[in-house]
Amino acid sequence: MSIIQTKNVKKWFGDFQALKGISMDVAEGEVLVIAGPSGSGKSTFIRCINRLEQHQEGQIIVDGIELTNDLKNIEAIRSEVGMVFQSFNLFPHLTVMQNITLAQIWVRKKNRSEAEEKAMELLERVGIPEQAQKFPGQLSGGQQQRVAIARALAMEPKIMLFDEPTSALDPEMIKEVLDVMKELANSGMTMIVVTHEMGFAKEVADRVMLFDDGMLVEENTPEEFFNNPKSDRTKLFLSQIL
Amino acid sequence: MVDLIKKNSKLLRESLFSSVGSSVLTIATTYLVINFFRGMLGFALTSDKDWLAVLNNMQLYMVQAYPEEDFIRVWLSVGLTFVLAGLSIGIWRSDDRVKSSQVFNSLFKGGLGVLFFTIIAPTNSSFMGNDGSVITEEVFSMDTRLGILIPVAIFCAIFFSLRFTNIDFSVNSSDMVFFYLFIPVALLWFIKLPTIQLDQNNERIIPDPVMPIAETTKIPWTVIFVSFLVSYFVGMYLKNIKSIKSIMSLSWFLLPLLIFSWIFKKPQIDMSVVLGSDLPVFGVFLLWGFLVITFVNNTIFKKYYSAYLGVTFLLTLVGVFSGLPMLAKTCLLLIALFSVVVPAVSTSSQGKRSLLIVWAVALVTLTFLLRGGASDSGIVVPGSSIFGGFSLTWLLAIFGTYVSFPLGVLLALGRNSKLPIIRIVCTGIIELTRSVPYITWLFFASVTLAVFLPAGVEFNLIVRVLMVTAFFSGAYFAENIRGGLQSIPKGQYEAADAIGMSPFQKISLIIMPQALRAVIPTLVSSAITAFKDSSLVTIIGLFDFLTIGKTVIGNQSIPVNFVGHDRENLIFVAIVYWIFTFTLSRRSMKVEKKLGLGER
Amino acid sequence: MKNTLKILSFFRNVVFLKWSSQIVFLVGLLYIIWSYIQNAVVNLEQTNIAFSWGWLGETPGVSIAEGMYTLPNSGRQMLQVGMLNMLRVTVTGIFAATFLGTFLGIARLSKNYIVEKTSTGLLEVVRNVPLLVQIFFFQAFVLTFPRLEVSDAGTYNFHVSAKGIAFPWLNRQPTAYLFWVYLLVILILANRIYKWRVKILEREGRETRPFLWSIGIFIGLLIAGWYGGYRVMGVIGFLAKYISTGVDLLPAIFYQTLFSSIAVFIGFRSTKKFIDTKKSEEAQGIYSDDDYFKIILNVIVVLLVVVLMFSSVGLGLSNFLVGDEIVFKADWGVPQFFDGVNNKLYWNPEAKIVLDAQLDGMKRADIINWIAVPGTEVTKGDVVAIATAKDLKGDLNQEISIYAKYTGVIEEVFVSNGDTVKVDEKTYDIRVTDSKPLELSRPRVEQIGTTSFKKYAVGYGKSLSVGYFAIWLGVVLYTAIFISEVVRAGIMAVSKGQSEAGLSLGLGRGALLRLVVLPQAIRVMLPPMGNQYLNLAKNTSLGIAVAYPEIVAVGQTLYNQEGQTLPVFLIWMAFYSTVSLTISTIINYYNRKMKIVER
Repeated sequence: MSIIQTKNVKKWFGDFQALKGISMDVAEGEVLVIAGPSGSGKSTFIRCINRLEQHQEGQIIVDGIELTNDLKNIEAIRSEVGMVFQSFNLFPHLTVMQNITLAQIWVRKKNRSEAEEKAMELLERVGIPEQAQKFPGQLSGGQQQRVAIARALAMEPKIMLFDEPTSALDPEMIKEVLDVMKELANSGMTMIVVTHEMGFAKEVADRVMLFDDGMLVEENTPEEFFNNPKSDRTKLFLSQIL
Repeated sequence: MVDLIKKNSKLLRESLFSSVGSSVLTIATTYLVINFFRGMLGFALTSDKDWLAVLNNMQLYMVQAYPEEDFIRVWLSVGLTFVLAGLSIGIWRSDDRVKSSQVFNSLFKGGLGVLFFTIIAPTNSSFMGNDGSVITEEVFSMDTRLGILIPVAIFCAIFFSLRFTNIDFSVNSSDMVFFYLFIPVALLWFIKLPTIQLDQNNERIIPDPVMPIAETTKIPWTVIFVSFLVSYFVGMYLKNIKSIKSIMSLSWFLLPLLIFSWIFKKPQIDMSVVLGSDLPVFGVFLLWGFLVITFVNNTIFKKYYSAYLGVTFLLTLVGVFSGLPMLAKTCLLLIALFSVVVPAVSTSSQGKRSLLIVWAVALVTLTFLLRGGASDSGIVVPGSSIFGGFSLTWLLAIFGTYVSFPLGVLLALGRNSKLPIIRIVCTGIIELTRSVPYITWLFFASVTLAVFLPAGVEFNLIVRVLMVTAFFSGAYFAENIRGGLQSIPKGQYEAADAIGMSPFQKISLIIMPQALRAVIPTLVSSAITAFKDSSLVTIIGLFDFLTIGKTVIGNQSIPVNFVGHDRENLIFVAIVYWIFTFTLSRRSMKVEKKLGLGER
Repeated sequence: MKNTLKILSFFRNVVFLKWSSQIVFLVGLLYIIWSYIQNAVVNLEQTNIAFSWGWLGETPGVSIAEGMYTLPNSGRQMLQVGMLNMLRVTVTGIFAATFLGTFLGIARLSKNYIVEKTSTGLLEVVRNVPLLVQIFFFQAFVLTFPRLEVSDAGTYNFHVSAKGIAFPWLNRQPTAYLFWVYLLVILILANRIYKWRVKILEREGRETRPFLWSIGIFIGLLIAGWYGGYRVMGVIGFLAKYISTGVDLLPAIFYQTLFSSIAVFIGFRSTKKFIDTKKSEEAQGIYSDDDYFKIILNVIVVLLVVVLMFSSVGLGLSNFLVGDEIVFKADWGVPQFFDGVNNKLYWNPEAKIVLDAQLDGMKRADIINWIAVPGTEVTKGDVVAIATAKDLKGDLNQEISIYAKYTGVIEEVFVSNGDTVKVDEKTYDIRVTDSKPLELSRPRVEQIGTTSFKKYAVGYGKSLSVGYFAIWLGVVLYTAIFISEVVRAGIMAVSKGQSEAGLSLGLGRGALLRLVVLPQAIRVMLPPMGNQYLNLAKNTSLGIAVAYPEIVAVGQTLYNQEGQTLPVFLIWMAFYSTVSLTISTIINYYNRKMKIVER
């Protein structure tokens, strides 16, 4: 049973076509890694899945709900999909604790003590419970990204989207974020990860996809993708990146 | 000590006489500055200036023609403000400490300043008579000069030497406020100056009897000072009570409304109406609010919440156009809005309690304002309006900011909106408002606005000015806030969307707090500009602080002839404005620094 | 069931919500505006003051204290006086405030303790006191001086009284306009020469002394111009006359079509250009709502112009061009000043003179006979013309002589329609142009007619009224203080490394500031500087408080006279918007230019 289904998704920015018909399925509990050169439409694609961008043609169905202009469907899908951004996008005027409890209280209507309990639990899971009362500006990049993951998890999503979560980090911090993501993957979360970390893809991914010029070029298991790629474009991409 | 002098002289040489050009600049500037102050002192001291024109008109300056038997209302307002200020300083008491050496140093410097002016003050000064002839007279005799110089020099020497002794203590910087206030209050009792007194025939007693400067006001001021001090200690005691800070903020928010109604009206309330109509309405809505707060998160009620909201809004719509009393209409509107907010807050017992308090306070205030507002006033003022002098200036400044700020927020959001029509309309309003000077808007208020109002509707000129001011400073606030909104990265919007926040939550919880924090300095300077601009109402004939000084006293001939003494009054007015704006801008700089620290 | 669900989901559609909410908002807004206008119509009907623009053409019957015309013959002319008075303060004020502000800003960064503290002290005083109080103070300062009446009539080097301040000044003579044009032309010429020499320098690598060349030629031409050469520019007047005659010959429909097609052409070209820029790779062909709005606006403006051109407005404009007005203007209006080449006598028997002071109830005079002929030599005081003075109704009343104001050869004699002529003991001076376009003169105090009142003579030195002095000094000082903050911030924004690099190259402190720091700081300073200029322009409206007749004061006088508050308010709005827009356009132009240099 696939939890995300897209059929022939197309998207234009004015004259420029960013997505040229993407069709794919993601099964529940699957970890999907999307790779590709910059400007290939991979970020645009996952941003379409929780409606940060609007697709113009085709269908996106998340957990049986089709993503349309209907306000109710958009709300329903957003509550099932969590997202982690390249630039963290933590709220700088709130403490780490407030960052994580805010949506629980205002969107999920939990009471404060419940929300704080949940937040502490998640902070322990991502390994930084001692930072709860600090402001995001006082944390390192890696710690900020882990808070961002905790913030997304606090909404208890079924699916997590990662938009280049490690691109803005120093090398020594990348590992701590990837560790959290691995742990998350092992716990059975459905994940779509846009990343250049091929090591992560080899180790954790169930499937790897290559986007180029708004099209899905290759879709394969990690072993096949890295050792025995089908298309020439993939070979070229791998030779440049490895 | 020798080292200190050496170090200072080296500094002096480096900063003042480092090169030939610098030396020339130093000498030229010093010459200019000294001559400027000499001229100013000479100007102020010549016998054609009558400073009694300022001193004798303090009441006019403060409240213009407000009836004397109702002064207690003014005093109570001032007292209440000071009590709130005392409480707030106590609650937000800072931990910064001021060292004794700092205090000594500033006292020493103050003394030096007095010495400087005493030394440079000119012995003779001249002024021009009406016929163009120059009259020269002695304005500052050697005796007076020495009489000031010697004690002040001793004063300076004491504090200078105190810096080098072992006396070392520190004072809490909040406590210093009382020290600063204590001095003027104490001086009210001791300083004596010639004052104008009239005998039975309403003739001026000559020579002017020497009396304490604040014969009539020293007791109220002392009482206010004492209650300020008491409330400071009470505030320190209350510090640890939960949610006291939000209660204080709310009180500050309500204070201007209260004072406004207090000074504006002595309501002649018909008790039968209160008991017969207001009290039942009040009770019904209090109960309604209580029920909503208690049961809104109940599972059964939750199911029908949308239906309840629909019915409430329908009732409101019907109620507003029906013949219900004004209070009931307003309460209906309020309960409808209240019902929307309640479910989010009323999740814990603590939240429920505070909600109930807010609701009760809101109802009481509303009832009071509406009943008071609808009744006749017992205060009768000869002339145009109740507000005049400094109270009018204050009213314009505070209410201008008060009303225009929310408007500015709305306009800024509108201009930043993705919806094209709303954006274009808001941009149009902002740009049109800003394109014309404030004074033309004031003329609009005084002569044109009435044309657009429905026949029979008339507003007091002050109210019309307030309406126009709200729009004018609102547009400026909007531009400031828009600057803040633009400084917020797109990612913040996306992150809020991604965790499922509604647009309203996104703006009020994520975007606005950050945007406002980013523009606090510009907002404060806009507020200061609004305060200074309030002086323009003098052009359309309102009796504000400036009008009193420039026009009213300048044309005063009864009981004493002060015609032509507007220069002294202008200087006084300038000094008062200066004190307020200068303090405000300095305070805001400090607050800004503090906030900057808390943020990162 | 399914259908109702569909309808429900339609109402939840975000696109529908977005547009429906906006339309509801717009309709609501329009309704409110409409109801207020409705109120206005009803109210105006009741007070019997219908909204009209008719007063623009009527004689207001009030005088203005200072300005181009002191006795305006129409509401329109009166407003013009107000606008010019406002611009006079604004333009000179902007230059003075920039200069003073830059100076103060640099002083605040000085290492010299006293200089720094003094300028900071000045800043804190001026910034924290309301501008209006300061203006009142400056006014009170001048009013401290004794009344003008206690001074003897005569010529002074410098004179201060409760009526204002007077000092020597280069006063322009009727041909000064020619000289300004000449100056502009030789400035451009000097600039071109500089560029030409630099080009040679770059191409051939030899020292060509471009600065010396351009300044030398400029000074040479300036001297030549001062001694009469400027009259070469008279050719412009010559051309203007022919062009205006030519314009007169073509039919009205020609102009209507011409202007419409120009509008269509410009609209089409700017839209096309706009679309082309959006097609570039950077922009990716993405149009925002703003862009669509701009395109739609373009179309609307073009359509509006075309419709206007073929309505009564366009017809009126074309008739104006075809009628005699332009030719008349070329003869009597501005271009007459360009008529330096043919040195002919202007004698229009219809010419009217507005007398600048009342002479036994007389307000204007008609020339009936010119005695002086060009080429003859006159000494000061000779009779040059005979005129009849009339009162406002035009009844013939008495004959007056017009005297020469200067000694010299008469090159031309003219009195243009509505020109002001001086009163001196029941006789009138007429100026004789001599070869200099500007003349240095000292202020003169003179009696007004036979009354005991005195005034500063017009055309002798320069006298600033109390109002002008107070408002000018007020806005200049106030704006200069804010500009000094801008300058200080701008200089501090230039990184320390830049200064160090400059110093390591061996530049002195002055040269460092001039060559390295200021050019970079200006880039940061321009936008806030523009805001200060806008504030200055708006603050001139406080002139009304000190009886300086700028546009707001004049507007108020007018609506007190006519009761037309709404039209006056609209005129204020249009005028201030135009001024603001002009200032910000100029600032934006320089801003863009600076940015291009940066790349």
